[in-house]
Amino acid sequence: MTAITLVEDVIEMCSVRVGKTLYGVPIMRILEILGKPVTQAVPLAPGYIGGLVHYRGEVLTAVSLRKLLDMPAVDEPEDILVFEGVDGYFGLLVDEVGEVMTVQLADHESNPSTLDDRRKALFAGTYKLKDALLVMLDPERLDPVRLSENARS
Amino acid sequence: MMNGGKVLKSIALLPDKTPVDELTREFLIESQEGLDRMERCLTDLEERPEDRELLAEIFRAVHTIKGTTGFLGFSRLESLAHAGENLLGLLRDGKLLANAEIISGLLSLLDVLREILASIEASDQEGRGDDAAMIERLHALQHDSPSRNENAELTTLQPEHGLPSSAKPQKGAKRVRKAKAKADNTDTAMAIASAEKSSAMVPQHEAQAIEVYQAELQTVQARAITNTAESTLRVDVDLLNRMMNLVGELVLTRNQILQTVSTDSNLEMLSRRLDMVTADLREAVMKARMQPVSHVFSKFPRMVRDLAQQLNKRVRLVMEGQETELDKSLLEAIKDPLTHSVRNAIDHGIEVPHVREAAGKDTEGTLRLRAYQEGSHVIIEVSDDGGGMKVERIRDKALERSLITRERAAQLSDRELMQLIFLPGFSTAEAVTNVSGRGVGMDVVRTNVEKIGGKVEIDSRVGKGTTLRLRIPLTLAIIPALIVRSCGQSFALPQGALSELVHLSAEQAQAQVEWMEGAALYRLRGKLLPLVFLGSLLKQASSNAELGEAYIAVLNAEGRRYGLVVDGLADPEEIVVKPLSSVLKQIGLFSGATVLGNGEMALILDPGAIATRANIGMALEEDGPQAVETTIEDGAVEYLLMQSRNEHAAVQLKDVLRIERISRARMERFGGLPVLRFEGELLPLLDATGFDASARDEEMTVIVCRDGERHVGVAVSQVLDVASGKPLTEAGTQSAARDVTLLKDRVTSVVNLRRIPMLPSATPESSEEELDAVEVMR
Repeated sequence: MTAITLVEDVIEMCSVRVGKTLYGVPIMRILEILGKPVTQAVPLAPGYIGGLVHYRGEVLTAVSLRKLLDMPAVDEPEDILVFEGVDGYFGLLVDEVGEVMTVQLADHESNPSTLDDRRKALFAGTYKLKDALLVMLDPERLDPVRLSENARS
Repeated sequence: MMNGGKVLKSIALLPDKTPVDELTREFLIESQEGLDRMERCLTDLEERPEDRELLAEIFRAVHTIKGTTGFLGFSRLESLAHAGENLLGLLRDGKLLANAEIISGLLSLLDVLREILASIEASDQEGRGDDAAMIERLHALQHDSPSRNENAELTTLQPEHGLPSSAKPQKGAKRVRKAKAKADNTDTAMAIASAEKSSAMVPQHEAQAIEVYQAELQTVQARAITNTAESTLRVDVDLLNRMMNLVGELVLTRNQILQTVSTDSNLEMLSRRLDMVTADLREAVMKARMQPVSHVFSKFPRMVRDLAQQLNKRVRLVMEGQETELDKSLLEAIKDPLTHSVRNAIDHGIEVPHVREAAGKDTEGTLRLRAYQEGSHVIIEVSDDGGGMKVERIRDKALERSLITRERAAQLSDRELMQLIFLPGFSTAEAVTNVSGRGVGMDVVRTNVEKIGGKVEIDSRVGKGTTLRLRIPLTLAIIPALIVRSCGQSFALPQGALSELVHLSAEQAQAQVEWMEGAALYRLRGKLLPLVFLGSLLKQASSNAELGEAYIAVLNAEGRRYGLVVDGLADPEEIVVKPLSSVLKQIGLFSGATVLGNGEMALILDPGAIATRANIGMALEEDGPQAVETTIEDGAVEYLLMQSRNEHAAVQLKDVLRIERISRARMERFGGLPVLRFEGELLPLLDATGFDASARDEEMTVIVCRDGERHVGVAVSQVLDVASGKPLTEAGTQSAARDVTLLKDRVTSVVNLRRIPMLPSATPESSEEELDAVEVMR
């Protein structure tokens, strides 16, 4: 897998869905995908925190993409992507994890200027798929440590 | 590409400086342990100067250092150890008797050696330093009893210590005497020179011989300690931490399996086995992390000796239960608080000999260090038989520094007052003198101990002494906790802070939770306990939601007492503490998270942080944005606003002890004055309700206030609010008008508590209060 992904012009992405939008996360950054785990809410936590998840003996802080984008909460269990962040592992709650796809770097375009500032800060441009757009997510920008710093400034 | 980045990162993580090599590290650890043993033995030696085994032990420690430094090339260490060895050789062979001076000399040698070892550990260098003075001192000490030295060469006294060390070490001793023979004939300056020369020359001349005897001695020594060396193994603490984590994980998985498995009988049996194995494994791993408290205790004999000498006091140190074991990390954590406590006990607790004599005590004070296990805690007591602490002085100091309010001070028992010394700010230079005892940095002691989930208590009796008790949990990673529920969510409450639980049915909750303008209180055995509602604190429920069935967990966090109101309780559980991410730590109310037996995750509540958030100890206020009174302007005083007759009246909030709602029928008269009987005591009353005497069925509110030493009651129809008011000045005079204030933009009279007449029999003959009262009445 590594040899292929390192080829210059393609990148393997894991597609996830939140609401109606398709997002893509570089697969090399994902440590693990947890299917619909039990989460535990944290009172008084910042709005973008989706809760705690039990992950390999650690208690993982999960960021909710839905909450981050100010979308209404859903009652259904969500999938979690696990990343390595500045301060240990963290999770990202998404509605659903889709499939792994290969995208051409040439198909990448940066964020449109019409996007609101909050989303501009979170998204790393988009890939044009044949019949849809795959919004690129950069795990570094979703790190709760980073988010809390941004919230304070 | 991404992968490449990761690899780079991990390369960058490698330490950039090469660590001290394996051999040197081994040497350092060994030497440090040797020196620790030596320190212990030296202080014991003072008691038993003739003890051969002690001397042999000390000799071994120094000798090992000397032996190893030779080929590691640490010349400072070698020459120092050599000088020490010479002196020790004489002692060991009985040619010199250890006295206080020699022991002091050896102790300072120990310090220098430690310093150099520390320097090697840090920089792989011995560091610069002039050891001539030290070596000279050691040499001078060899001449202490010349009469015994003279026949030194003749006596081939065979030491009887446990080691079968024989003629070979004698060779070392001979060499010493050779050096000394020269020294005897010359002045001191020459003595140093020759000593240095001899130590410098020896390696060349007798190199081989020394090598041999060193090797032999080492094998002998190795044989002696074989039993312990073969059965122990150094393990990296990080590895142990990781093992502990994994075992914690296993415990959780087991808990979950135990809860799911109940149908299949075969699986049930297997799971029971798993249960047993897990429990045993956990215990074993915990054991691996345990070390006897003697590791910490061992440095005290030296410290006590030095301090006592410095302060011209005589102190006997008694240590008990040194074999009691404690988790390594906890042991590290209590080192400083314990050192502090011991220093305090000697400095402030134990009196100088003539004071002790005058008090009819043994001139030698006793400092007792005692460790023992009690359930899941280890108790460490530091007790002295010194002067003890006067409660009154502590109270006065605390008042003087406005650490507590006067009325709170009056409510506290002696025991509680004693705990005031743990308040931050209590301890400053002149805070407490020798008269009353300790106080320096006791808040630090408490903070450190509470950080590891422990508790500190102090008990003192004037003239008898003081006992400081540290309660330390056996381990940090797994703590007992009570699982509480709030708004459908589970939280873990560490049991260390929990003192009792009160159950309130829905009706009781309605009736017995009292409100003082937004602050909820519960009368626990006659004392008001401020309540904090977990649900509203965590903003899970609105603060004015109807109170249903509830439990009050009475907590004691860092001396602050409050009741945490929760919706329900689950079983207590041993929980494995998992750290929270920094983002969630910032919330400040949770100390960690855990996974419960049922698989649910629970946040661990931090009782101290909750108390701080809810202003416990500062004021009787609940959290929330409606707390208007928190910002008090300069010169403003807080008042309790009451409805009295048709006007408003007020009393200073700081004078209010409690508020009672009672029937007027309970009001009685004594000597023509209205009184109330409260818990067997008479309370003089000011009836400001405006009801006439016949209205016996009405209810009234009695504000129990403090007036100097006595308690008085002010009866009003109801309490309105708490507000801050500024003193009013009389027009033209600029002097503050008496008994009136501006509250909520209304001129309000302030009840003068002194004007409430004394009960006839209780009137003291010429108390200050009485004079004032007379003056006021005039």
